[in-house]
Amino acid sequence: MSASSITVVKVRDVLLVAMPSDPDDSVITALQEQAMRSMDQHEAKALILDISAVETLDSFFARTISETAQMVSLMGGRTIIAGMRPAVAVTATQLGLPLKRVETALTVERALDMVSLGKRQGSAR
Amino acid sequence: MNATIEKEVVIKTESDIVVARRAVREGASALGFGLTDTTRIVTAASELARNIIKYAVEGTMVLHPLEDGTRTGIELTFVDHGPGIPDIAKAMKEGFSTSGGFGMGLPGAKRLMDEMDAQSAVGQGTTVTVRKWRRQ
Repeated sequence: MSASSITVVKVRDVLLVAMPSDPDDSVITALQEQAMRSMDQHEAKALILDISAVETLDSFFARTISETAQMVSLMGGRTIIAGMRPAVAVTATQLGLPLKRVETALTVERALDMVSLGKRQGSAR
Repeated sequence: MNATIEKEVVIKTESDIVVARRAVREGASALGFGLTDTTRIVTAASELARNIIKYAVEGTMVLHPLEDGTRTGIELTFVDHGPGIPDIAKAMKEGFSTSGGFGMGLPGAKRLMDEMDAQSAVGQGTTVTVRKWRRQ
């Protein structure tokens, strides 16, 4: 899995990133860099991370998502993670993963609704 | 019987963490663990493999199937010859981290597994063994 496998797609004023199922650290780090660059380039108002394929969310991955969300927030945007698998949610809770400032949605579609309606919900704190 | 499940993974680079995770996922599934337990075991393995990269540069993970007559389980042993941890008992407690991270490596892995043993000697290295038993 190479770092170039991360693609940031812009849909209206939202950035959408689909995470691969088992990304290594370099892919996760590349995600942060590309997301920040795209936020700046496209003047986006939200970043949606589709994690529906992700099978393992460990503390490094969670910390990077959390950091990215803080950076996006400083740039005036919001970050929504969408599609967390049930087994991953159970594990994340037991592990006590730090997902501050990160909003959540069941699906990408709902995340897009949250952005277009300007609603805030499902914030993981 | 479970000889094919036995596996050793060398952990030297960040991409070896992914190799270790895949080996554990395959092993746990082959031993009949359900999806949630498999995810717990793989995540614990990811934390412990990353500890090796972070603190010891390199080491190994050995995957071992367990049978005790009535139960089936999985055992993962992480061995490194890095700097060691001076107070291993403290390192296994909540909120303790020497790297200034979230201090989740050892205590997090412990919460996801059923059993954890850790031995460490300064200047010699660290061995962490975790086990999980399949629910009947």
